[in-house]
Amino acid sequence: MSTVSLASSPNIPLLYARAAAPLIPGASLLPFVPGGGGEIPELELELAGVKADAADVAAYARVCGFALRDKLPPTYPHLLAFPLQMAVMADGSFPFGAIGLIHLENRIAQLRPLGISEELILRVRPTKLLPHPKGRTFTLVTEVRTGNKLAWESVSTMLRRGGDGSGAVVPGKRGQLRPSAENFATVPTDTPASAEWRLDGGLGRRYAAVSGDRNPIHMHALAAKPLGFSAAIAHGMWTKARCLAALESRLPDAFAVDVRFRKPILLPSRVEFASAEIDDSASDGDIAFTVRDAKRGVPHLDGLIRPSETKQAKTGRKK
Amino acid sequence: MNSNTRRVAIVGGNRIPFARSDSAYAHASNQDMLTAALDGLVDRFGLEGETLGEVAGGAVLKHSHDRDLARESVLSTRLAPETPAYDVQQACGTGLETTILVANKIALGQIDAGIACGADTTSDAPIALNEQLRATLLEANRQRSTAGKLRALSSFRPQHVIPSIPRNEEPRTGLSMGEHCAIMATEWEVGRAEQDELAVASHRNLAAAYERGFFDHLLTPYLGLERDQNLRPDSSTDKLSKLKPVFGGPDGTMTAANSTPLSDGASAVLLASEEWAKTRELPILAYLTEAQTAAVDHVHKREGLLMAPAYAMPTMLDRAGLSLQDFDYYEIHEAFAAQVLCTLAAWEDPTFCKDKLGRKKPLGSIDRDKLNVNGGSLAAAHPFAATGGRIVAGLAKQLHDAGKGRGAISICAAGGQGVVAVLEGPES
Repeated sequence: MSTVSLASSPNIPLLYARAAAPLIPGASLLPFVPGGGGEIPELELELAGVKADAADVAAYARVCGFALRDKLPPTYPHLLAFPLQMAVMADGSFPFGAIGLIHLENRIAQLRPLGISEELILRVRPTKLLPHPKGRTFTLVTEVRTGNKLAWESVSTMLRRGGDGSGAVVPGKRGQLRPSAENFATVPTDTPASAEWRLDGGLGRRYAAVSGDRNPIHMHALAAKPLGFSAAIAHGMWTKARCLAALESRLPDAFAVDVRFRKPILLPSRVEFASAEIDDSASDGDIAFTVRDAKRGVPHLDGLIRPSETKQAKTGRKK
Repeated sequence: MNSNTRRVAIVGGNRIPFARSDSAYAHASNQDMLTAALDGLVDRFGLEGETLGEVAGGAVLKHSHDRDLARESVLSTRLAPETPAYDVQQACGTGLETTILVANKIALGQIDAGIACGADTTSDAPIALNEQLRATLLEANRQRSTAGKLRALSSFRPQHVIPSIPRNEEPRTGLSMGEHCAIMATEWEVGRAEQDELAVASHRNLAAAYERGFFDHLLTPYLGLERDQNLRPDSSTDKLSKLKPVFGGPDGTMTAANSTPLSDGASAVLLASEEWAKTRELPILAYLTEAQTAAVDHVHKREGLLMAPAYAMPTMLDRAGLSLQDFDYYEIHEAFAAQVLCTLAAWEDPTFCKDKLGRKKPLGSIDRDKLNVNGGSLAAAHPFAATGGRIVAGLAKQLHDAGKGRGAISICAAGGQGVVAVLEGPES
């Protein structure tokens, strides 16, 4: 695999233009426009010398509910890498455009908390396409290194609806599919909510402003409708961040957190947050959480936090 | 009811470096900073998951949504969520007053351990609705009929959109604290040169304390700051003498250098019974043995606004059976260099001590080499409610490092109030 080191962070508006270009009929024939179906290229982008800006982190922390600490919110590096993720998907060799892709799952592993002033090396690479009942999936792997050591990792599973780009859905048998993430324990459905969140219609725009993720599906109902949504939808990574902020005081230094994005949250909305400690021998300290519709209880997101064993053994929570 | 009191140990402290207003912490709220200070304390003393007796904290400039600032900050930390907390507000006395409150409960055996803390931001200051607009909206809310609501709202005028911004002003005198202190400086004939010298000493002592690693166990870096931003190690009376006065008119003696700047920061102190500290193998830096709060009538009796510590100190000394000279260290909060010098002058003045304090003899002078030996508020800056915690933890560590001794703390506060306390070293 070839790793391309970038000298500076890619330009987001330009990437959006390239990401959206495949929506124009025939544009995919151009060499610098993604499209044409086919396989995902072997490509890794790297950007060194990345440093978070305290004012940006503060704005992000406000929107997501984190306290502004000397450590980065565990979801923040994902945001630092967003321009690289877009650049990978806007590469001319990419088989389809990024607009319209659906974020199914995300796993973040924090090996240690990252300092707000630390200099980071970001790496983003896609993996091969896999079949899925509703199309095909691939993952975007984002790594954060300090020096030569891996400190943080994120794996996002993306769905390209409609199989091979022809628009036809490839029916898949469940047994043949390799799940992109292992199944994990979820919050028992009868768990009472610990909080209710009233999400207003401007949430998508506010998160877009702090994250740079201005996908039209999050910005306004009028922009979301042509892409198949009846209203603007909340960013999945906002929902994940909001959950981790709600559990902030219980997060260990080293942990992994998986989420599965279920039904999109149409804005505005009233949702419930619930969490539960998973109590069995194999999952000491695991915390499952969920965001569900406040009225009907339909789940929007399921998640699970797993403390890393080394760290857990080291600190050992006092009771 | 317990009739025996226990010794109150100061286990340690933690603060974030203090930042100048609208600088490194411009985007941090009081709750963010207090959480950061508490986080560091929890890490330093392994308090993760620990249920403490209480956390008392506060801020002077507070948003209405920060009504339970201390409790909300506790819930953001890894302290057990079963730890109760409450807010205290006593202007610049807040930090020391919370220390006394927690200490008293420990002394009485009501709790075994607690945290005293405080934070203040002048960058993320609360801005309130215009008072007339607020009155209009409340009146409209009280009206039941639509016509009544509209009538109430009709008193709205465009100038009502101008918000009300908090001012550093005494409500009953209309003077700023600096202007009040300038009056004191004139009354006590405190000169420009001695104020500048005190400021330079403050910077020199703080810089030296950083150099010898004194703050390594008292401080957690925050948002890129590792030292107090206001510190100027190369400060000199030459440079300071060139500054124009900011209070007391063109002939005033108070400048931006011998007055504390607006700043942002937070601090926290862990207090406990000796037994609690010993079972957890935690250090005991010092003991808090005495405290006193006093107030003066700065409105009608022409008392100096910041002179209350001059009254609190002798009351406390008499009760403890100590003289002003029985101390190895003096920590006098440098709100203004003039405040410190006026207080010292008052204690030396036979007339003040006789007429105001009712004493036959003056309290006398102190050895200036024992004053603010690790720097004071002029160098570190003064995020109002965070100053008490800075001083308590710093003095406790100084006494611990010395292995013995006794220290006095004196802090002046708005509204004509003052808080003083005595810390004793581990051997005494």
